[in-house]
Amino acid sequence: MSARSYLWLFLPALALLLLFILAPAADLLRASMFDPDFTTEHFARLVTRGVYIDVMLRTIRVSLIVAVCCTIIGYPIAYFINLQPRSRQTILLFLILIPMWMSILIRTFAWIVVLGRDGLLNEALAAVGLIDEPVRMLFTSGAVLAAMVQILLPIQILTCYAAMTEIDFDLIRAARVLGAKPRQALMRVFLPLSLDGTITGLVIVFMLSMGFFITPALLGGRQDTMIANLIEFQVQRLNWSFAAALGLVLLLLTIVMIVLLRGLGRMAARRILKAGL
Amino acid sequence: MNKLLLGAAASVMLAQPVLAQDKVLTIAGSGGVVKEISERVFLPAFEEATGWSTKFVAAESNILLEVRTMVASGQMLYDAMEVSASAYPQAVREGLLEPIDYKLLDPNNELPDKAKKEFGVVAASYSTVPVQRLDKNPEGRKMESWSDFWDVEAFPGPRSLKQQPEYNLEFALLADGVALDDLYDVLGTEEGVDRAFDKLDELKPHIPVWWTSGAQSVQLLSDGEVFYSTTYNGRVGKLQESGIDVEIMWNGGALHTSHVGIPKGAPNYEAAHEWVRVRTMRPDLEAEYVKHLPYPNFAPGLFDAMTEEQAKTMPTYPANADLQFVANEEFWADNIERIRERFDEWLLE
Repeated sequence: MSARSYLWLFLPALALLLLFILAPAADLLRASMFDPDFTTEHFARLVTRGVYIDVMLRTIRVSLIVAVCCTIIGYPIAYFINLQPRSRQTILLFLILIPMWMSILIRTFAWIVVLGRDGLLNEALAAVGLIDEPVRMLFTSGAVLAAMVQILLPIQILTCYAAMTEIDFDLIRAARVLGAKPRQALMRVFLPLSLDGTITGLVIVFMLSMGFFITPALLGGRQDTMIANLIEFQVQRLNWSFAAALGLVLLLLTIVMIVLLRGLGRMAARRILKAGL
Repeated sequence: MNKLLLGAAASVMLAQPVLAQDKVLTIAGSGGVVKEISERVFLPAFEEATGWSTKFVAAESNILLEVRTMVASGQMLYDAMEVSASAYPQAVREGLLEPIDYKLLDPNNELPDKAKKEFGVVAASYSTVPVQRLDKNPEGRKMESWSDFWDVEAFPGPRSLKQQPEYNLEFALLADGVALDDLYDVLGTEEGVDRAFDKLDELKPHIPVWWTSGAQSVQLLSDGEVFYSTTYNGRVGKLQESGIDVEIMWNGGALHTSHVGIPKGAPNYEAAHEWVRVRTMRPDLEAEYVKHLPYPNFAPGLFDAMTEEQAKTMPTYPANADLQFVANEEFWADNIERIRERFDEWLLE
């Protein structure tokens, strides 16, 4: 039988995609352009008022920073876990999974306890005499970034780890046999092979960050408003059409950025593969 | 004879309009303490009076959103609902409420006119008031007015206001020296709105966070994240009980009245009236209710049953009421779209 005759196996997935992704997206488009008659006022408002452009740029910027931070912190951790004996790997992975299973809301609230004026960090700093007055840490961009990185880090670690476990260690051995120093083997064999999975992790973290809502709402100030916060805000205000326009813009921005990131990532990977580090 | 029998049957039916055991009245209202106390005071009284059982649904801030969706789908799940001061004009305009049948509710005309609106009965009054952490004030000083709230030199420290234009513009104008009685005349002009925003500009850098729920405002004060914040007067008692040194500044507070209403298409229209009666016209229950929550309504004879100490915590206590302005919800209903958009974008700037 040819591959074509198995195409019907895609049908359930296709139906799912159509029903729960494409149809709602089409409805979003409709809601943003008909209020109740055809209008482009909501999109016009989005592009003509500087504040909304600022929010979009900020959302992309924050998501990029979070994705890169998660990658820089997560990659070595995944590598370390990958080097451990099997039984210890299980324990370490479990330690990473536990916080991931906790609700984002709870983890965000935990940061309030840590970063508050009378919070753990301020008290610790005051106790060792580093500060006299409590420092404002809550309701700052730093608080949002720290919490988002902490919340999304397990995802990047697990994605990197999954990519690394598939690497055939015989290749590293072969490199060593052929005279590569351990560092060279790591940089020129292991890293390029794990790069694709790492980029996938980075894109996933980026994608999740783009829609982040609770963390900026609870830990950030008004200067940290992201698109998802605006959407929630507009829904609360019963401006459904404007919220729909924002939702559509978020969807489009995310798709464009994912394509860009993947493209750039592949390009970088190819260059590294060719030239080495 | 027949007539007599019919009359007797009718009177029995009137006295016990709803006897069936499996009847459930669904009521939507605020969560938290409000729900807790309602469940202890009003719901049992209603159940006793009617033999119905009740379901109290806590719907925090977007009750109008829910009801609008239910009306649109023709599937009304609530029999009665709290209608906040600000939701009332909008709910009326959108036709989300059934009219109140005062012949059914109040046949002896006991409620004062102030309590009776076409689509709702005043169930509670509350105030949006500035609250100060006395322990964070400079030695020997205390905020007395909105000018003090704006004075970051004399009273340094982070502040918070609700993330909405309503009443904040009034507060800003009061801080700028406008008299209580002129408030809405000034705000009614474009220059007045500009003036309020200019005044808010001054305070903006000192507001690290704008609160969105009453619980949050209390939490911010309790954690010391902000030293001064507006909040609802009913939240302050709990805060004081938990040992936080806070005090309400009644001067320049905004007084609101909220209502209990019956949503369009409510499944049990008549029984809902019985609930409205229990909620708004029983001084014995209301006195018990305001012991826990100082949100008094117009239940006939309410203040007779109260100590002076208790009355002083009430927004409608004369000494407190005189210092406040009555929030003009008609103004906000008419102007909210325009001002809110400006406010929302101003926040993001």
